[in-house]
Amino acid sequence: MTLLLLYILALLDGLLCGARVSMGRSAQIAKRRYYLRAQIRGLFGAQIVSTIALAALLLVAALSPNRLALRADLQAAAGRMLWIFLPYAAMVLGNILLRMVPSTDIRSATSVMMLGPLTAIRPLVMIAGVLYGVWPSRLRETRLLGLCILGLMLGLECALNRRAAKEQSRELDSILAVAGEPHYS
Amino acid sequence: MLSAWNPAQPEITDLIIQHDPNSLARLPVRKRDVLSVFSKFANRAAIRAVEALPDAAGILDDRAIDRILIPTHWEMQRLAEEFYHGDRVWDLLRRVIATIRNSGYRDTIRVIDVGCGIGYTARWLAAKLPLEQYQLEVVGMDLNSALIREAKRLAAMEQLNCRFVHGDAFSREHSGQVYLSTGVVHHFRGEALREFLHRHEQPETFAFLHYDFQPSFLAPYGSWFFHYLRMRTAVARHDGVLSAVRAHDAWTLIEAARRGAPGFASGIYGAKIWKTPAPRVFHTLLGMRRSLLEEFRRQLGVRTARLGELR
Repeated sequence: MTLLLLYILALLDGLLCGARVSMGRSAQIAKRRYYLRAQIRGLFGAQIVSTIALAALLLVAALSPNRLALRADLQAAAGRMLWIFLPYAAMVLGNILLRMVPSTDIRSATSVMMLGPLTAIRPLVMIAGVLYGVWPSRLRETRLLGLCILGLMLGLECALNRRAAKEQSRELDSILAVAGEPHYS
Repeated sequence: MLSAWNPAQPEITDLIIQHDPNSLARLPVRKRDVLSVFSKFANRAAIRAVEALPDAAGILDDRAIDRILIPTHWEMQRLAEEFYHGDRVWDLLRRVIATIRNSGYRDTIRVIDVGCGIGYTARWLAAKLPLEQYQLEVVGMDLNSALIREAKRLAAMEQLNCRFVHGDAFSREHSGQVYLSTGVVHHFRGEALREFLHRHEQPETFAFLHYDFQPSFLAPYGSWFFHYLRMRTAVARHDGVLSAVRAHDAWTLIEAARRGAPGFASGIYGAKIWKTPAPRVFHTLLGMRRSLLEEFRRQLGVRTARLGELR
């Protein structure tokens, strides 16, 4: 159950990362499809990260001399991580839900006062969550796995961002190519 | 950081693109000239951003500038989207339109978005509203040819019923019944602001709505944080914050409007959030022909509480 919850949170994070890196890169008015594509890309990225994390976990478990102890240690660490990640996710989702209130002032306020700062602290929350989870662990394998997952989670947004920037650069190339030559003398 | 917040200095984008005022042709810009302006203000953030701009023999490369300017405006549109700017504009504009209609005006009402950039407001109105039904013509105008080209491309891509023109919004051939703008008025300082508002005094013009940042003690800090998180280019981060710092207070806007455009009753709309003392990020300089005031107040209904003194 604990691992399933972490997996769901990782997918949610990927989905939001996908949306975030695509924001401000398209000036169309109707962007539902654009954001949907970006979110699916993020979700896919998070799935890759989760798969790598699962593979690493299985590998460590296979090589471990004491699988039962490792399993208990990992579960305890994952449970501790949820104490940080769940409230954070609840705050993010709560603010996204608030945006359904039909008031431009409330909807803007969620963006400026809450979602912006929550985005800013995301890397810190990731670090705090993983450290809080693995710090009290008895086994080195648990700590290594935790740090590996942290690296993957932080790397996901960078990778998505790089991809979105490349796509934007290609789009700008085509826009400026159509625009023609500079026209000052 | 504070030297970058000196309101006496221009924004980077005010300097790196120059147009001939008569022909509107783009002019070459010497990088050294731009740097010397920011050197006077010891604005290291601006100097770093300008130094990073590509140039050829000291002249800024206009293609490279456009390459920065276009995505910067995409990012600015994101801010407008986060503030639900389209909804806010329409919430007031529809009451202005209803006022004009109820005064007996039956022809097409031309709404001009002055300094429209990539035309977010105009495109939003065209995308969300049945403009034919309202008998509205929405035209975005800007002196920057690259931005107008981009606005046209975006409008064509979504088949939107609005036009974009590279030119002077107040010229005889382009004048409109309603003028609106977003984040434009703070670019006009002192006498230039009065002159800008004076140009609204055209017989066919009924009203103007100019949206801009509302200055407050917290605005530069909030703007810095917001732009730091959202904007990806140094130019956008710099100018975004400086815009909030340079924004005119309500009194300056009202004074300039009453002196420059005395044919309109002018005031500020939407300064506070609901009935609290909390300021909105944007406030609106509103101008309305005096003969329409009574009907306009009727159209505002409960929104009248958002209207400051209109005279």
